[in-house]
Amino acid sequence: MASVPSPRQRSWVRWAGPLLLVVVLAVLPLVFPESVNEIIARIGVFAVAVLGLNLVMGYTGQVSLGQIFFLGLGAYVTAYGVSNDWNIVVVFVLACTIPAVVGLLVALAAARLGGLAIAMVTVALPIVGVPLAKRLSDYTGGSQGLSARFGDAPEGTGLYDDQWRLYLVLAIGGAVFLLTRNLVRGKYGRVFAIVKKNENVASSVGISPYRYKVLAFTLASLIGGVSGFLYMLVIQYTSPETMSFGHSIQLLAAMVIGGAGSILGSILGGAYYVLVPQLTNLVDPSLTALLQGATLLVVLFVLPGGLASLARPLGRGRRSSHDRRGPTPPITPSATTGSGTAAETPETERQGHP
Amino acid sequence: MATFIQLVVDGLSTGSIYAAIALALVLVHQATGLINFAQGGMAVLAAYSAWWLTARGVPLVLAILASIVLSFLLGAAVERWLMRRFERGDPDTAVVVTIGLLTLITGICGWLFTYNNQQFPSLFSLDAVSFLGVSVSQRSIGTTLVIVVVMFLLQGLFAGTKLGLALRAVAINPQSAAFSGLPVERLLMVGWGLAAVLGAIAGAMVAPQLTLTPGMLDNALVYALAAVILGGLSSPVGVVVAAWIIGVLENLAAVYIPLIGYDLKVAVPFILIFVVLVIRPQGLFGRKTVVRV
Amino acid sequence: MTLLELEDVTAFYGPVQVLEGVSLSVPENGAVGILGANGAGKTTTLRAISATVRAGGRIVFDGKDIRGTRPDRVAALGIAHVPEGRGTFGDLSVRENLRVGAYLRKDRKGIASDIDYCLDLFPNLQDRITSNASALSGGEQQMLAVARAIMSKPRLLLLDEASLGLAPSTAKAVYDAIRRLRVESGIAMVVVEQNANLAFTLVDSATVLETGRNVLTGTSAELRGMDEIRRAYLGG
Repeated sequence: MASVPSPRQRSWVRWAGPLLLVVVLAVLPLVFPESVNEIIARIGVFAVAVLGLNLVMGYTGQVSLGQIFFLGLGAYVTAYGVSNDWNIVVVFVLACTIPAVVGLLVALAAARLGGLAIAMVTVALPIVGVPLAKRLSDYTGGSQGLSARFGDAPEGTGLYDDQWRLYLVLAIGGAVFLLTRNLVRGKYGRVFAIVKKNENVASSVGISPYRYKVLAFTLASLIGGVSGFLYMLVIQYTSPETMSFGHSIQLLAAMVIGGAGSILGSILGGAYYVLVPQLTNLVDPSLTALLQGATLLVVLFVLPGGLASLARPLGRGRRSSHDRRGPTPPITPSATTGSGTAAETPETERQGHP
Repeated sequence: MATFIQLVVDGLSTGSIYAAIALALVLVHQATGLINFAQGGMAVLAAYSAWWLTARGVPLVLAILASIVLSFLLGAAVERWLMRRFERGDPDTAVVVTIGLLTLITGICGWLFTYNNQQFPSLFSLDAVSFLGVSVSQRSIGTTLVIVVVMFLLQGLFAGTKLGLALRAVAINPQSAAFSGLPVERLLMVGWGLAAVLGAIAGAMVAPQLTLTPGMLDNALVYALAAVILGGLSSPVGVVVAAWIIGVLENLAAVYIPLIGYDLKVAVPFILIFVVLVIRPQGLFGRKTVVRV
Repeated sequence: MTLLELEDVTAFYGPVQVLEGVSLSVPENGAVGILGANGAGKTTTLRAISATVRAGGRIVFDGKDIRGTRPDRVAALGIAHVPEGRGTFGDLSVRENLRVGAYLRKDRKGIASDIDYCLDLFPNLQDRITSNASALSGGEQQMLAVARAIMSKPRLLLLDEASLGLAPSTAKAVYDAIRRLRVESGIAMVVVEQNANLAFTLVDSATVLETGRNVLTGTSAELRGMDEIRRAYLGG
């Protein structure tokens, strides 16, 4: 930080990074083998899913155990639409809006309950979702699930299907990330942060925590729906198992390990979700759950900000040079401050009513 | 009519299982202000340890008692070595910790005992008792009775003993409790230990019916959470009544409402929650349901 | 015979040093006031004694340095802290609050007679004995807080702003009862109080703190006479 760059230089620097990223992302699918492209595409799918969870949980502080349900719902809507030969744009819109509407309805009820109750209610989504998907076999194919193939590379592009699909994932996923990033760095992000920090404070400055919790949850459901669409694009098959309780927990673990309240953390979380089970399966499939649980606990203990917090010093330095009022500095889960002695928090009284 | 009564009795029996886990959740919440999503997982581990002992020739009752003691120690250890660090912090982080613990315990159970279903011997005979033309399994009656007795013991502990009073005091105001000489940290461990004991009892009661798997109590946990929401986090009685209502209603709905049936009966408590939230936002019982303080 | 001796006690809240060296001496059966403006370190001094903040220096109670022990151990030694804001157990009844106060005792008869004594000392609590503490008025809660503290049969009572938020007549009633307690039981006291006049009705001597340091120490009679001191620190 010896010399302050001129405004012109700064904007150049500001655009160079993303531009480079776009170029790299545009080139890489062409050079990677099919299997790698597929893995990257899967990471993209789950990065979007984790991003949705991050919006409601990392940024707004509402623990949701139901995010995987919206991915499943989006996937089913997509599979059903595609197998009935609907226009793919219509399918995409439906795969976004139907989960969003369901999420809105759930949130309208669940957000009435304070704090932890949202976690307690949303846990029902995967638990009810799996038998529900089996029951509605006319639409979902029951336990067998649904296959649907779409997004083949158009004639004349000269691309292989896996390359084309990866481009689609990168484009759609990238758009979602960009929009979400702008959302959480803007006015809404600041409000979400206040709701997360202290609902009473939010109320006292005229913000309705209820309304913003519902908004965050609905948007998270919508993003979940997008990830479901991408899931079908990449994996081309869904079954009730897609939205099982176990997967829901893994998604949450991925978010925390990647980094709560962090855009980068969402990508890392997606990578964790896809790659780590493959690694632990290599070690010993029966150890997968054990290792994942242990990893989650270790991260919570030693790295409460998740993997993203490792990259933070670098990122913050760069950002503060050109975007000083960048609003919500990534909120480290208060586990670190929470372990303080009683002395630092004199008002530990938990009386219900004064 | 006979079917109806049978369904109600069976519903009370499964409801009792939910009630035991729900009470464990309430106990932990009272002591530390947290919701322990690993409560069911810890109970499964207890059931596995009892099963492991019976497989080595230990009589069932002794095996269950041993697993209860083990659970107490496990609960206390979890509080001391895992949760304490997160207790005064953000409750959301603490919830994630318990979810991590659930994953870990499920993983441990699966690793040690495989994910295959294991037969767990029943404490009660499966024979039915006929009463006024209604036949009810002894297991249902026995399960219900055991849980009712446990509930009364718990009630007695909190209302009538020095330990119970101390646990309540620590839950309300740990600092003042320390000023009066209460060993706060040890009492928190006791609270978690007792909650784990409740879970262990529930696990031993339900394992013969569900057969033992690492995820055996995932659904029961969900029911228990629903009972806690409906009954109120501060009201043990409300929670038990809610658990019974859920147990009975889901049984009846499974049979009498084809739209729901056996496969979707897990949705019943949440439909109930949805309805209650709309018509009575403060919950079924008490002043307020779930408020983070 | 000195019961409690503080020597050059320091304390931090995070990086902020709140106590820069406080000294205090409480004789057996004595009552010492700590006076001073907001933020002078009065409450922190009490918290240092009851081990709810980590402190430096020396805190000797009954011949033993008690620094670094835990709050419940300090209580077991015979020091009862009535915290600022009272700290009663809201969801417990008055009687249960008193029983929690007697947690460390085993003598059932003694506990019962001490409950009676508390109710005699604070007759307002008599009628509320089965009410939840959270349903009490501010004055009643303060009385309950003191009563709960003396249920442990302490040798030293730490009293923090017992008049805070109370109507003058209620505050006086509370202090009258505490004075009676002092005469009848001989419990030594450290009294933190904003209202200096009220404090002087109870304590024999006092020290005035400013930014975490003693600036003046003397008997009640001496201090009471010092007008400018009173204006500067005591808001009188």
